[in-house]
Amino acid sequence: MIEATLQYADTALLVLFGVFALAGAVAMLVLRHPMRVAMALIGTMISLGGIYGLLGVHFIAAFQVLIYVSAVMVFIVYVIMLLDVRDLSFTHRFTRLVVPAAAAGLLFFVVLGHAVWRDTGGVQPATALFGIGQFAVDFLSRYWLQFEVTSVLLVAAVVAAIVVVRLDDKDHG
Amino acid sequence: MDKLSALLVLALALFALGFVGVIIRRNVLVMLMCMELMLNAANLALVTLARQTDTTAGAVLVFLAFVVAAAEIAIAIPLVLLLVRRRRTLDAGAYAELKG
Amino acid sequence: MALALTAIVLLPLFGFLVNGLAGNRLGHRFVSVVGCSLPIATFALAILLFAELSVRGGAPQVATLYTWAAIAGSGFDVALYLDPLSAVMTLVVTGVGSLIHVYSIGYMKEDKSYARYFAYLNLFLFLMLLLVLARSLLVLFVGWEGVGLASYLLIGFWFDDPDKARAGKKAFVTNRIGDAGFLLGMFALYFAVGTLDMDRINAAFAAGPPPAVPASLIGILLFIGATGKSAQIPLHVWLPDAMAGPTPVSALIHAATMVTAGVYLVARMSGVYMHAETASQVITVVGAATAFFAATVAIAQHDIKRVLAYSTISQLGFMFVALGVGAYGVAIFHVMTHAFFKACLFLGAGSVIHALGGEQDVRKMGGLARRIPVTFVTFAVATAAIAGIPPLAGFFSKDEILWYAFASDHGGSVLLWAVGAATALLTAFYMFRLLWLTFLGRSRMTPEVEHHVHESATSMTGVLVVLAVASAAGGFVAVPHYLEPLLPLPPVAEHLQQFEAPLLWLSVVIAFAGLALAAWFFGGDARRAERFGARIAALSRVLANKYYVDEFYERVLGRPLTWISDAVFLRLSDRVLLDGSLDGMVRLARRTAAAFCVVQSGNLHRYLFLVLAGSAMLLTWSLGRG
Repeated sequence: MIEATLQYADTALLVLFGVFALAGAVAMLVLRHPMRVAMALIGTMISLGGIYGLLGVHFIAAFQVLIYVSAVMVFIVYVIMLLDVRDLSFTHRFTRLVVPAAAAGLLFFVVLGHAVWRDTGGVQPATALFGIGQFAVDFLSRYWLQFEVTSVLLVAAVVAAIVVVRLDDKDHG
Repeated sequence: MDKLSALLVLALALFALGFVGVIIRRNVLVMLMCMELMLNAANLALVTLARQTDTTAGAVLVFLAFVVAAAEIAIAIPLVLLLVRRRRTLDAGAYAELKG
Repeated sequence: MALALTAIVLLPLFGFLVNGLAGNRLGHRFVSVVGCSLPIATFALAILLFAELSVRGGAPQVATLYTWAAIAGSGFDVALYLDPLSAVMTLVVTGVGSLIHVYSIGYMKEDKSYARYFAYLNLFLFLMLLLVLARSLLVLFVGWEGVGLASYLLIGFWFDDPDKARAGKKAFVTNRIGDAGFLLGMFALYFAVGTLDMDRINAAFAAGPPPAVPASLIGILLFIGATGKSAQIPLHVWLPDAMAGPTPVSALIHAATMVTAGVYLVARMSGVYMHAETASQVITVVGAATAFFAATVAIAQHDIKRVLAYSTISQLGFMFVALGVGAYGVAIFHVMTHAFFKACLFLGAGSVIHALGGEQDVRKMGGLARRIPVTFVTFAVATAAIAGIPPLAGFFSKDEILWYAFASDHGGSVLLWAVGAATALLTAFYMFRLLWLTFLGRSRMTPEVEHHVHESATSMTGVLVVLAVASAAGGFVAVPHYLEPLLPLPPVAEHLQQFEAPLLWLSVVIAFAGLALAAWFFGGDARRAERFGARIAALSRVLANKYYVDEFYERVLGRPLTWISDAVFLRLSDRVLLDGSLDGMVRLARRTAAAFCVVQSGNLHRYLFLVLAGSAMLLTWSLGRG
């Protein structure tokens, strides 16, 4: 009885987070002020974090919140506060491509969604919980090269960021 | 309809919405955020598929995608600042120097 | 002795390099010393080698310098080959060549390109010796092409004058046509025999079973090359124009040596031609036709060098008749005597032209005998020699040719003899006509020219005397006999032997008849010839215009080629097809770019929209099929 209730609650939570995430995404498209868009995105991200948690990949859920919501989004919010956003893009928030883009996006969604729908009937969801131990072993033994390459990418990003800031200085120095 | 397929469709929807958002919104910052949304959708799809096939590869990719997202935003934000200082606008339509 | 053989060929090359690279800075005297001493040294070496060859009894001497394209056992030896035939030719080339080098010192004294002239002359000598001494047809071909090049350079020596430059080009192009045949012949030979060494080819054909290619095919192909170089019908047109070069060049290249290369080639390949009946017949017919045709043209020419040029063509025709009937040694004999008297004639003509300050028209000469006596005497001796007056050189060689034309088992006939005899008559006639118009009779020079007439320098007249002596005595050198072990004379049918003495006397009569005819026409009253010419105006016009061969070539070959080049290759192919297709592609690229340019608006949103729409469509297409 309790098991069934938990299962049911699990599914209900998943649906709830999914709806939240979708609602946030839709809100991002229509809201005028960038700050509100940022808030909608944070909502979506937290909902996704919840979904990850419900799927059992808790550490990814944790990083989702830590990296996206705290680091990335704080950065963006900070910039929004820094800049004067009340310009042309504020009064006319949409481009002239609203209808075509919506049509194309819908086509994209319908086609791929149809394919997913059609092809993923038989696969059973895994039951075993996703352990951080297994992940850590795989990450540092099988995928160490990718890990190192990513570190190179990070270094490149740091250098690039410094160069961009320097450019900024030169233009106004 | 099983749970994981539904999550895949959700990821698809988020990705499409993000893409459409990048196209239809004028504000550069909003465009950036829509791109973050697309990245999140991709992450969701990866996690879902990792669960579906019961492997760690998808999770590893998501982990790396986090790093890439952090790097991306670290460069993108200074670029936006640079652009705004030059032209005093966040309207991406104003920047048409790539014209062929 | 292989070293001496190599030195013969390389010494003139050395002279060419020294004079060609540094001649302008070294001064006339130095250039003359280098330019003349080296040919004389080669002549001395040639005599040495000739003596040595006689001691050895004619056994050939080979000097291999280099092996070209050595691939798995087969290769082309760059080798020099000295046997009695090439030794005789080497002596003629170096001997006459040395004399003409010496003569040139005086003749070219005032030319501003003195060093260049000697450089070219030495280059010619180097290549001619390479041609003569080559063992392989391939090396011979290098020399063959090389003398063509030297000839081109020397015909167009005064290239400031477009006419002379054009004459050089004409010689080169005409020779190339013949060379195509030569090359094909070489390919066929290499295909059939597997070597290009001429002694081996001859041996292969002599030994039989016959190689896979008909001997006549090879013979005719090589003969096509010979017609180009030796100015036989139909490729004779370049030689009269080649007189545009300096006169010593005409004497050396276009009379004494280079033009006989075709004769030498056929004689060298006699092993093939002995088995090539059809080819021999072709050679006989072409040679006889050329001899007669050129002799008739020579009658009506007024330019002293042109008369001599047509006489050269005619004499070369004689040599080919000898080759055609199988008397190869006799042909080489005539090559030698002809080299003597024709060089003498040309150098004498050069002396006349020199004396008259560049005048070449015999109608404006006359009465020069007393003014330039040495030139006159030597010229007269050479004229008598070519006309066949006994006992001068031309008498012996020409008589032997006529005899074999009549009696050879190898294609001789009465008709052939008759053509040859008629040609000999014409030869005597036009040569004495030239002698009369130039040196005898009343003077027709302008007073101005007459005032300047002077005998040439001793270096020039000395050479004339030497050559005149050679023309007089050269007939007593029994070349055919000397060459007989190598080039056997054709057998003569028993019942024809009795005609030898009468025909000999007939030859003498013919020569004197030509002399008498010329004396009658031009000796007393010069207007007699003009009146006679007027009576056969049509014929004399045809002769004066050389049977309109040049005009015929121009109309049949020149104009259609020009038209094809212009209409098909230039206008249609080049301009419409090539340029048009390229222009079209450029236009297409521009228009496409202009069309796609609209897409490149610079608007980020539009780019992204295109990405989305494009990928959506691609997905629709690819997933819609699965």
